[in-house]
Amino acid sequence: MEKVGCFLCTGCDIGSAIKTEGLEEIAKESGATAFVANECLCAPEGVEIIRTAIDSGELDGVLIAACSPRAKMDEFKFDLNKVAVERIGLRELVVWSHQPGDEDTQMLAEDYIRMGTSKVTKMELPKPPQEAIDQTVLVVGGGLAGLTAAKASAALGHPVVLVESTDKLGGYLLGVKDLVPERPPYDTTHKNDIQDLISEVESNDKIKVYKSAKIKKIGKQPGQFEAELLGGDSFKAGAIVQATGARPYDANKLSHLGFGKSPDVITSRQMETMILEGKLQRPSDNQMPGRVVFVQCAGSRDEKHLPYCSSECCLTTLKQVSGIRKDFPDVECAVIYRDLRAPGQLEHFYLGVQENSGGMFTRGEVDSVDTAGGKLKIHLKESLLGDEAVLEGDLVVLAVGMVPTSADGEAIRQLKDARARIEKKESDTQVAEGQKLEEQLKHHDGTEILNLNYRQGPDMPVLKYNFPDSHFICFPYETRRTGIYAAGAVHAPMDAAQAREDGWGAAMKAVQCIQAMNRSEAVHPRAGDISVADFFLQRCTQCKRCTEECPFGALNEDEKGTPEYNPLRCRRCGICLGSCPERIVSFPEYSVDAVASMLKIIEVPEEDEEKPRMIAFLCENDAYPALDEAAARRLKWNPWIRVIPVRCLGAVNVVWIADALSRGIDGILLIGCKKGDDYQCHYIRGSELAEYRMENVKETLERLSLESERVRVVELARDEYARIPELFEEFAETIEEAGPNPYKGW
Amino acid sequence: MTEEILPSAEFRAQLQKRGGATASRCYQCATCSSVCQLAPDQAPFPRKQMHYVQWGLGDRLAADPAVWLCHYCNDCTTRCPRDAKPGDVMQAARSLTVETLAAPRFMGKLVGRAKFTWPLLLGLPFAFWVIALYALNGLTIPEAPLVYDVLVPHWLIYVVFFPVTGLVLLATLISGLRFWTLIGKNQERSGSFIGTVIPAMIEVGVHSRFAKCGTAGSRRWGHFFLMWGFIGALIATTLAIVALYLIGTYPLPLDHPFKFVGNIAALLLLVGGIWLWINRLKGGEQSGTSTAFDNFFLYLVLLVILSGIFTEVGRFYFPPALACWIYIVHLTSILTMFATFPYSKFAHLIYRTLAMVHERMAELKASK
Repeated sequence: MEKVGCFLCTGCDIGSAIKTEGLEEIAKESGATAFVANECLCAPEGVEIIRTAIDSGELDGVLIAACSPRAKMDEFKFDLNKVAVERIGLRELVVWSHQPGDEDTQMLAEDYIRMGTSKVTKMELPKPPQEAIDQTVLVVGGGLAGLTAAKASAALGHPVVLVESTDKLGGYLLGVKDLVPERPPYDTTHKNDIQDLISEVESNDKIKVYKSAKIKKIGKQPGQFEAELLGGDSFKAGAIVQATGARPYDANKLSHLGFGKSPDVITSRQMETMILEGKLQRPSDNQMPGRVVFVQCAGSRDEKHLPYCSSECCLTTLKQVSGIRKDFPDVECAVIYRDLRAPGQLEHFYLGVQENSGGMFTRGEVDSVDTAGGKLKIHLKESLLGDEAVLEGDLVVLAVGMVPTSADGEAIRQLKDARARIEKKESDTQVAEGQKLEEQLKHHDGTEILNLNYRQGPDMPVLKYNFPDSHFICFPYETRRTGIYAAGAVHAPMDAAQAREDGWGAAMKAVQCIQAMNRSEAVHPRAGDISVADFFLQRCTQCKRCTEECPFGALNEDEKGTPEYNPLRCRRCGICLGSCPERIVSFPEYSVDAVASMLKIIEVPEEDEEKPRMIAFLCENDAYPALDEAAARRLKWNPWIRVIPVRCLGAVNVVWIADALSRGIDGILLIGCKKGDDYQCHYIRGSELAEYRMENVKETLERLSLESERVRVVELARDEYARIPELFEEFAETIEEAGPNPYKGW
Repeated sequence: MTEEILPSAEFRAQLQKRGGATASRCYQCATCSSVCQLAPDQAPFPRKQMHYVQWGLGDRLAADPAVWLCHYCNDCTTRCPRDAKPGDVMQAARSLTVETLAAPRFMGKLVGRAKFTWPLLLGLPFAFWVIALYALNGLTIPEAPLVYDVLVPHWLIYVVFFPVTGLVLLATLISGLRFWTLIGKNQERSGSFIGTVIPAMIEVGVHSRFAKCGTAGSRRWGHFFLMWGFIGALIATTLAIVALYLIGTYPLPLDHPFKFVGNIAALLLLVGGIWLWINRLKGGEQSGTSTAFDNFFLYLVLLVILSGIFTEVGRFYFPPALACWIYIVHLTSILTMFATFPYSKFAHLIYRTLAMVHERMAELKASK
């Protein structure tokens, strides 16, 4: 921007903690054309000064040097189509967190004014995408979650297309008699009412239902998905809810529990059928069993089988015991559990069923089931009796867990790539590697569900335990594909009550996504952002890093490997910006150049002044709010550190490290969210990629005879604000020990 | 070696009848064991016993001293998050153990099912006395001033009670030995039995364990008076025999010091009996749940006490016929009480004492 105004607020102790007289000159040296100091900038009068300057065309860029960008958001709201706005939180970054009147504090404030002003001069106005958005919600899967999502989306005023692969709607619940209690007093099962929901959906004229249907392909991007079914029908959709459910874990792998060895060892699904049909019989002799023994966690919470808890098997068993005792009161039921999970009000159900089981509930782990002889012998280890124990039963029910039906899009892509490599025959090693990969991944063949035309694969990439969920605590229903939400058992293991709620939740996310696109806005987590990335393709070297690393598959490739950007798939995280060695990716208000200009304008004192300078890139999702919190609690931290908020650690381009070090900056700290299986990164892979990239940077530093500890990546959660002073101090000490950056003064 | 454990439906049904059905509600959180003031640190109860009950392990319960170390304070029941009433379950386990260890077994069953057998248990001794007295003297009611010896000669009392007491002592000894052997198998002991019995008896005498009870703490004094009343009655009876044969006084005048001992005992019994009876009538967790087995015992004790007191008073103030019939009722209740001693709740006298001795000896072993 060319006409940049710097607005300094002197309220909230800013004016008394720092000397404000010299700041005008500093701002103007850094590129500001106007400077205003006001003692209460957030008051209507203060805001009016800024607004008048913008409306008169006097300014096209504004730096508000006042409180944190996370404070007073409503007051400092301007038309971003007309003006570039940057905010520097002098109150939090300087005044609250440092010694007032101190020389170092003054230098810190001055640097922030320089950095902020300089950044605004490099910012541009956004060019929001003007695209036609389809309002339809496509629901894939006609089970409880899918039916609920379809009903919910229609109720929210959107047309719905429901695609079901079998010839009947209803899914798993078609084979179920009663449901776990969902209403007070939570002590008795109630009738399965799936048929009501099916007829409600089928009679809704906003919902178009396809049965026995499969998706051939889905093209383009959210807001404009173009779906084509096998058989030729095609339609457009704005967002997708995938509710394709789960399969029971394959009991054939549980031979130690007697499955396959005796017909009288069955799965909970088979028991469900028996209860539905009203025929409780031992498969071996068609006699009514005297004692039914339920084995919980059959293959669940077991590293050799399913490492997770499917959360509904306990409730299903409670329901089945209740069903058996209701219809066959002479049959004893014994339940062997590791931890019986009946959360919340379901304790009432659990208590009642346990009391009337006719047998018992006991904690223990089933070691094996002995199928020799007439009766089944269930061997327990680690039972509460302290020693090994044996229980006899006539029928053993294995409560098996859930395996999601999600197809691993990434694996399918890798498989395709491997086959392409084999076909190309570039070298023997290439072919051998391709063949090895093909062997490993070929079981993914034909598992495609959505068949998206994404460079990163035809389906959603799966995360922990093969579920496509992106992070169920922080970002419910989010997947790694914008505009596509998972609901029901494919989202996470769950029971009917949860699936119902999940259907609603995912539908609301899908509708929210369509509505945001109607306003040209980004969805979670940069909700409301109207800018999109710009690729300066003339300089692209087709290295494919951006197309590989984008966590959301926003980029396709043309034949040469040039990225094809789909703005509606984009979450604006900036990971592509961080990945690009040619620095061709930029956002109007967040570009390589803008941040680099901030680094370049920091005043770096001479070596003999003994004032080291460090940069801390803070992820604006969790680390920066934590910093604000630390400041609000008046925690003090090291004044040699300059904080730069970034969209994600993955949006840190390594050139910034080089820029900073070559200017004599002594150390660079990157603070972001947790990575790994239990990641908290809002863009899933950002922290992981940053860590990886910085490892490479460190190697380069070593080669240049620079200490690698000058660059450090740290994970910080939103609630760990108290760690910040210590973290900064420790880093400052490390840097002091390493000594001044030898490039200082060059 | 794998132990084969099979819960038996029959056991569960038994326990249910005796008031232990709530065990099926237990989810083994061990709140009960941690709040119990009486449970030893190294062998806490009643969580484990609750689990035995759930699995139907009657044999393990019978061999477990903890079943008897429990004084039915109900602190566990008050705090149980699932209302599984561990106190009641332990009570049921005791009644079942009494039956399991009974010698002969059928007597245990007979008394164990007092809900149905009580007319038999009281009726048989009553019939015996009526028939015996009829055969002896045509059940002729003596003239006033009433001397009971005329109605029931002392030799008849000896002929009846000495053999019954002997048999009962034998049965008690057999059951006690069975129990002692069983509990010794699970937990090693050391030290002298006699040397340990004495401190244990002192503990029983002052009821120091009952003092630790929270919820059912009020039962302590009722039980205390009742126990000392029975001991007093035993002393008074001995003194009466001494008076009869060594001093030659019969019947004792009301102001005789021996009579005073008997009257104090009667008072203690009356106070204790009524205390416990009222306690039970108040209901709630402090009283626990009463089963037929408990009620039979309590009403029998009350019958013994009241018939005893009225027998004494009746001698002077009642028409002879009424007094004599009261005396027959008294003799009946005493006979029933004696004959059912090792099979009724009275048996706790032997089992609990042994369990307390065992606990001390096991602790001694563990500390070595």
